[in-house]
Amino acid sequence: MLKNYFKITWRNLTRHRSYAIINILGLAIGIAACLLILQYVYYELSYDQFHTKKDRVYRVIQDRYDNGKLSTQWAAGAFAAGRNFKDAFPEIEDYVSMTGRGASVIKEGERIIKLERTYFASESFFRLFSYPLVQGDPQTALKELNSAVISESSAKKLFGTEKALGKTIRINQNNSYTITGVMKDIPENSHMTADVLLSYSTFIKQVGPDNNPDNAWDWDGCFTYVLLKPGTDVKALEKKLTPLVAQKNGDSWKQFNASASFYLQPVTDIHLYSNRMIEFKANGDGKTVYLLLGIAFFVVIIAWVNYINLATAKAVGRAREVGIRKAIGSQRSQLIFQFLFESALLNAIALFVALLIILAVLPAFNRMTGMDLGLGLLAGKNFMLPFFGLFLLGTFLSGIYPALVLSSFNPITVLKGTMVSTGRGALLRKSLVVFQFTASLFLLIGTLTVSRQISYMQGQELGMNIDQTLVVRGPIVTGPDSLFAGKTNAFTNELLKIPAISKVAVSSSIPGEPVGWNAGGIRLISAPENTQKQFRVIAVDYEYIDLMGLKLIGGRKFSRDFGDKKGVIFNEAGLKLMGFDKPEEIIGKDIFFWGDTLTVHGIVGNFHQQSLRDAFEPLILRLIPEMRGYYSVKVKAADVSQTLTAVRKSWDNFFPGNTFEYFFLDEHFNDQYNADRRFGQVFGIFTCMAILVACLGLFGLASFTTIQKTKEIGIRKVLGASVPSILRLLYKEFAVLIVVAFLVATPVSWYAASQWLQGYAFRINVQQGLFLIPFMIMMVVALLTVSIQTVRAALANPVTSLRTE
Amino acid sequence: MIALQHISKWVTNGGLRTFLLKDINLQIEEGEFVSIMGPSGSGKSTLLNVIGMLDDADEGEYNFLGQSIHTMKEKQRSQLYKAHIGFVFQAYHLIDELTVYENIETPLLYQDTKSAERKAMVGDMLDRFNIVGKKDLFPNQLSGGQQQLVGIARSLIASPKLLLADEPTGNLNSKQGEEIMDLFKQLNEEDGVTIIQVTHSEKNAAYGNRIINLLDGRIEHPR
Repeated sequence: MLKNYFKITWRNLTRHRSYAIINILGLAIGIAACLLILQYVYYELSYDQFHTKKDRVYRVIQDRYDNGKLSTQWAAGAFAAGRNFKDAFPEIEDYVSMTGRGASVIKEGERIIKLERTYFASESFFRLFSYPLVQGDPQTALKELNSAVISESSAKKLFGTEKALGKTIRINQNNSYTITGVMKDIPENSHMTADVLLSYSTFIKQVGPDNNPDNAWDWDGCFTYVLLKPGTDVKALEKKLTPLVAQKNGDSWKQFNASASFYLQPVTDIHLYSNRMIEFKANGDGKTVYLLLGIAFFVVIIAWVNYINLATAKAVGRAREVGIRKAIGSQRSQLIFQFLFESALLNAIALFVALLIILAVLPAFNRMTGMDLGLGLLAGKNFMLPFFGLFLLGTFLSGIYPALVLSSFNPITVLKGTMVSTGRGALLRKSLVVFQFTASLFLLIGTLTVSRQISYMQGQELGMNIDQTLVVRGPIVTGPDSLFAGKTNAFTNELLKIPAISKVAVSSSIPGEPVGWNAGGIRLISAPENTQKQFRVIAVDYEYIDLMGLKLIGGRKFSRDFGDKKGVIFNEAGLKLMGFDKPEEIIGKDIFFWGDTLTVHGIVGNFHQQSLRDAFEPLILRLIPEMRGYYSVKVKAADVSQTLTAVRKSWDNFFPGNTFEYFFLDEHFNDQYNADRRFGQVFGIFTCMAILVACLGLFGLASFTTIQKTKEIGIRKVLGASVPSILRLLYKEFAVLIVVAFLVATPVSWYAASQWLQGYAFRINVQQGLFLIPFMIMMVVALLTVSIQTVRAALANPVTSLRTE
Repeated sequence: MIALQHISKWVTNGGLRTFLLKDINLQIEEGEFVSIMGPSGSGKSTLLNVIGMLDDADEGEYNFLGQSIHTMKEKQRSQLYKAHIGFVFQAYHLIDELTVYENIETPLLYQDTKSAERKAMVGDMLDRFNIVGKKDLFPNQLSGGQQQLVGIARSLIASPKLLLADEPTGNLNSKQGEEIMDLFKQLNEEDGVTIIQVTHSEKNAAYGNRIINLLDGRIEHPR
């Protein structure tokens, strides 16, 4: 029986080759697109899923309020959270406090090795998280003072093939640690990253008994993770956190009119739903992931719709076979099975072609998404499951309707040849085409929105000049602090001797990344304590404002001539936050900054410290010429590589024992848009695929309608109709569908585009162009597709078409 | 074998009932060769379709081999149908995408006959109709007469007790027609197959041993 079905299907496919190719190609593209996106989506969803206690591990996050207004949102909040919550709430089985200590430079023999990410972590670390140790005991590795766990790759960098366990490392030519464990590298699909973990007890000792972190509610920067006992009511526990802190520290906050709220964030949610201050790394975006997932299914559904459309359009041609089969003893269920089998066969072929497509585009896909999918992927269950899932779903969803229609034919009518193609099927086909074009338009509008927003962000005035700027990361191993200022000074002077270098500036932060220094408690010295606010602070030298081309809108820059030692400059947003509108109102006044009194010298215009996704933050530029952070170097357009060699040479002279790291500021800044650009590309490519598939279907359908209308066209021509008038007649039918699709797609896309743009502080307006251009494109593409068939039909000699009838 | 009692069938058009068949009472015994005659639109094909279970009557009782068809479920009816009834059409109605061999084989597939058995049965049938040489051809490579031979071979493959033929020679020339009618007669006499044919031709009707005349959906009784 199956053999018979197989033969019939195969012969039908080979007989109607173009129909088969349209169907198979459409399905294959749809399936390939869907499977690829699914891989990406799956990866994004896989973050932190490998922790065996993932359902019980939560991160404590913290929002700070000043005067009842939300001021900062922290991923790593107050240091006191872990200890205090654990002591107060029996539901918390265990906790980990973790805080960064910057990069580590370790000298091993003659080599200098920099381990970028070093953290102090409490001893429970390996009890909460499933990061396996390859050497050492996870229970005790982070217990003792001065113990360190390093990652496998760090161990390899440091010691090659030698055993790392038990060795001593000296970090930044300062403290020594014994290696008590080597952990497998933290996988990429974790929200956390670390090269070196140092025992938290060491941290407590280093900060000294006067600064006990366990009592520090105003000191942020500590990640707190809690392990809840099984069956804990998370919401109920979460509600108890903030009141506890209020009880412990509320009195001290009250005088500043400040407060803080604490929440529990599931560890598996961090990657997709968390964007706070001090994240381990830039997290993903859940909205984007689900949007992509939606696109994946759009594309494949469009392909399924093609199958339904073409199969039902061709149903009349298959009707006789159905009639005969019924007359020689087939039951309806057997016919349904036969047509489902056909759909299965077609889907299977399409699946195979999809595999070929995937293999062909995999390298490009990897490049685009930054993923590393290999051929091994094809064997994994994350691929096989959706692969066969799509096969079954596709076979059924695309096959069942045509099967029901075809098997329903009455043998007597079809065998007598009195069957007419019904309007009922035509309406369904039209609705499905409208659906396809609605989806395509939606995607097209989305693509346009994304690409416009990206070019808008890149085209905006930044409020500063970051061209021709070389940035060198400051040294980590510096020797005694007292000598550092002099060293920095000498180094910058040395750089200025290089002819291609016009300016050098030192600062704690550079544009293109979040400002790491957040200072609360800032107010006018004359104002009451409860007016204090939180500001981001960049420590800068005398040259910084000039070098970055920041625009002064009031007051003056820092200047050696005035002997400014204790000065600050606000940006406009900072001015507003201080409660003033005009620069004059604040210039010359003193502010209170962590016990110091600093004078406001000037106001600079707002500039985009970060990408245009982020709003202007209230900023303080504080003069600290001996700051260690970044050296920014303005280079004349001349020979860059020669200049670099010269810079490097003096670096090695001044800061031996440090690695030399540099980048160009404009590139660094634009790297912020990588994720957006990538998203735009993925979006665009899959949109093209969706449109291609939809047009394939339209082409098939157009050929079908045109054939149906051959007689009508012939008669009209005989009656004197011109070719253009006939084309108009044929186009009208499809143009109407696209107009309807446009009407449906517009409100939906308008809503989606506005929602997406909400994520950007600086964004384009959602206006007509975003919709009309895709509409025109769609219309042109669709009518061109239809033309391939219709023009031929319209030009045909009516005699032939009427004779064949 | 076949007993129709008060069989009526109608279509309703604008609230008006037009009868296709009206109060048909008919008894056909096993081994008969019946010809149904009558002008166009008199209900011949409808009657044949009702007997062949391709169509339902709106009223009346139909007993086939002692079982009442009008009360049966679709599935039982189909079971009965494919075991006992073969259909031959005026337009042959072969499946274009299947070869001669495969066309003849198809009814056996619906009866779940084993593969080896099918092979033997189709082989016998090809032999019997002298079309072994054509078994791998497609219908459009055959003449009308040959196609009808395949059609008949297909209708007989499951050894039906009843063969229904709707103007089997309508599309054939007279020589081909005669051959087909001879074949029917032989089937009826030698193999005992009950045959009911619809025909316009007096000559073909004469091959049978009983003629039923229809007019406006009623049986005309010989006066």
